[in-house]
Amino acid sequence: MEHEPQIKLLPYKRRRSFFFVLLLIFIIALPIFIFYTSGYRLSFSDEQTTIVTTGGIYITNDNLEVDVYLDGEQVEKPRLFRSAYYIQNIENGLHRVVVQRPGLHAWVKVLPVDSYIVTEAAAFNMPELPHIRPIPEFTNQSGQGVYVVKGSTTTPLFTKGTTTGDFIVTNKVVPATLEKSSEYDYVVGLFASSSATSTSLLTRLEEELDKLSLATTTATTAKPLVYVEQGNMRLVEKGSELYATWIGSGQSTPHYFCTPQSATSTVALRLGIHVALQMDEQRLSTTSPLHTEGARICRTTIRVDRKWQDIKYYEFFPRSSDLVVLQLQDGLYVTEIDDRSWQNTQMIYPGDNFRTIVTDTNIYIEEDGKYFELMTKIDEAN
Amino acid sequence: MNEIDQSHLLPYARRSDFKVGRASDLAGKDRRFFRFLEIVPGALSWTILIGMIVASIYAPFFAAYFIIAFSIYWVLKTLFLSYHVRYNWKRLKHHMKLDWQVLVRRFDYGHFYHLVIFPYYNEPLEVLDGALKGLLDAKYDPKKMIVVLAAEARGGQVAVDQAYVMEQKYKDCFGHFLVSVHPADTIGEIAGKGSNTHHALHQVHNEVIAKYDIPHKDIITSIFDVDTVIYPDYFNCLVWHFLTCENPYKSAFQPVPLFSNNLWDAPALSRVMAMSSTFWQMIMQERPEKSATFSSHSVSYQALYEIGYGQANVVSEDSRIYWNLLVANNGNFEVVPISYPISMDATVADSTWGTIKNIYKQHRRWTYGVENWCYIVYHFSKNKTIPLKKRLSIAALQGEGYSSLVTNPILLFILGWAPIFLGTREFHETVLSYELPIMVRNLLILAMGGLVVSSIISLSLTPPRPDGHSRFKYIVMVLQWIMVPITMVVFSALPGLDAQTRLMLGKYLGFWVTPKRIK
Repeated sequence: MEHEPQIKLLPYKRRRSFFFVLLLIFIIALPIFIFYTSGYRLSFSDEQTTIVTTGGIYITNDNLEVDVYLDGEQVEKPRLFRSAYYIQNIENGLHRVVVQRPGLHAWVKVLPVDSYIVTEAAAFNMPELPHIRPIPEFTNQSGQGVYVVKGSTTTPLFTKGTTTGDFIVTNKVVPATLEKSSEYDYVVGLFASSSATSTSLLTRLEEELDKLSLATTTATTAKPLVYVEQGNMRLVEKGSELYATWIGSGQSTPHYFCTPQSATSTVALRLGIHVALQMDEQRLSTTSPLHTEGARICRTTIRVDRKWQDIKYYEFFPRSSDLVVLQLQDGLYVTEIDDRSWQNTQMIYPGDNFRTIVTDTNIYIEEDGKYFELMTKIDEAN
Repeated sequence: MNEIDQSHLLPYARRSDFKVGRASDLAGKDRRFFRFLEIVPGALSWTILIGMIVASIYAPFFAAYFIIAFSIYWVLKTLFLSYHVRYNWKRLKHHMKLDWQVLVRRFDYGHFYHLVIFPYYNEPLEVLDGALKGLLDAKYDPKKMIVVLAAEARGGQVAVDQAYVMEQKYKDCFGHFLVSVHPADTIGEIAGKGSNTHHALHQVHNEVIAKYDIPHKDIITSIFDVDTVIYPDYFNCLVWHFLTCENPYKSAFQPVPLFSNNLWDAPALSRVMAMSSTFWQMIMQERPEKSATFSSHSVSYQALYEIGYGQANVVSEDSRIYWNLLVANNGNFEVVPISYPISMDATVADSTWGTIKNIYKQHRRWTYGVENWCYIVYHFSKNKTIPLKKRLSIAALQGEGYSSLVTNPILLFILGWAPIFLGTREFHETVLSYELPIMVRNLLILAMGGLVVSSIISLSLTPPRPDGHSRFKYIVMVLQWIMVPITMVVFSALPGLDAQTRLMLGKYLGFWVTPKRIK
């Protein structure tokens, strides 16, 4: 036999057996995998093995390296995509989520989780210490920014935060070699052309009312609605309050405007009393009524938390329709429109006497005659 | 059809529609039926792909469950196929170690002739010379070989003259040497390897076999691509299988094609595609009842004579000849896998883009083998002598093969994500929507485990490293397998879809000659 091939063709019976083994694996694996991906899990708690249904939480965040905590415990490797975190296997109920990183404000929210459903949220973490990029009036021949001051050059120009970018301070007469900074001119132009003011909404409202009472004409004209828009989101002043209104189609209403159709008490328990009250208020409203989308019911308006202070300035956060930049009496804040449980509001610049302009991409501040950009990402600032 | 005297043909092979190439070759109901069959594969593939998109939009939950099922199926299929590859690899290595010259001694085989046909187009002289030298290097008496260099008139006079140069050089080395020149633009033919071979077989019959009265049953015909390099024991191995198989005159003998002649000079993309093709053939070696002949193979001359030498009007002639034989023999014909290698060129060009284009075109030609499905089903509906179970089984297996070739890679690597992007808001809010990409990703990673097997086997089949090539290339040859998800889509699914769509629309493909380069 040694002169015969020793390895024969793979026997048909063996192939068929192998096929049926794999078929059996398929038949067993398929329902297990389908149930697993739908949210079913085996629970081994209380010395009993039971099948439980779970949901998840999906959090987006612009910062790349943050720690995510669920109910006080750090979640290991929750990252799904570059800037998104997905936490699996969460049982029904309310769960406290914390997203934090040293040097950044913590974002904290209590979110309801339902079986089979993923609760979405957009976390944000602004620097605790302001990061300032000065915009000097002049630049020297090597492109370095130059501040010309009258007093001592050793006195820090920016005391409220750290600065980035290369600049020098001089108290000499402006040398002829210095050039006027085009960015400086641009930013000054922004402030000159805008209605940026350090006066609060309330003060401005009172001024308007005074004007109205002193008016000699009897004709009354409707005061145009003051608002700003970003995509399908609109910020509207009403009295001393600021509201975020969704003006897009019903189908694309952001999730935080909506709740499952349930009783007011349930809404209050899940999302907070303030949400339940707003839902009730809008249920009766003719101007901003609730609308139903499948199994959920949606508001069109959310009040922006102003921390019981007057609003001096407001604008959408650059490149975002979910975050709002608010200048209040004690400083500049970023707050979220999402009001489930509460609205996270993070101070990004303290003070009561500065002016702010937010463009599509940047936040500029003018304080004591100096202009600078406020950086909102540590990575960018470093 | 060229045959006037059809008395030597099998009864079924005498039918006027036996060598149907496309619907237009027929008339009436048959024509409409064949045209319908030409439409089916493309229509089915497009329906599956579009259906997946539509389901993702309107029934995303169903689409998601389907994708999960499909991903599990893919993992198990990979396991199943890897098992076959690994088994055949062991058998192949074993066969390569055996001394077949010793093994065949117990048989009386001295009366056998090997008719070796090398159809070519305009390949360089060095390629022809290499092919013929390979025959002389084989451990087999060259005087028992009838060698035919089958030139194409449309390849130009220079190309034809090369055959005569080779004839002068080698005619005394072999038992018989013939140069045949296939005339250009013959009505009823598709220019290509099939028609050239068909013509060569006729000519060698008249000028050698009939003339020297060589018994047909004593001739084993091997039709080789001109870049084929014969392993030394090929003919001994072939004879051994011929003499030990159950029904040698009703069998085709299929070696394992290695596209490794130029593997060290070919780019990684080309190597992956070449080895993938080899692996597929290795799998088929262990499932002969599901396979057909492919590329270079061998068959008894008697069998070919009984069907009038196959067809000159199809693109995928290498497989069609098997289906001709199966149908004409009323289902009593089989593939005998010999698990012994022959080596050919991996597809390359002078530039990367050129290589990509050549690989695409070569695979489009190969996947145009779907035209055989139409032929099979058409004749299965006519030849009721073939057992019904066999007819249904072959038609279903071949149909599934062509359909999965096109749809599986696209479903798996592209449309698997469709419900996530196209699904409804209600779907997007579910755990299923979030878990789906994680689950599919993990299953695909698991399936990629099959690539480890592939890389190990491919290294063992790689020719020795020539001078001037760094050892570092071995590492590249292992890592190159991560390209498989891309190559499956770009060089299997897309050319397959292209081929099926052309057939569906009646824009029939012509034969494309894979360029051969001088090494």
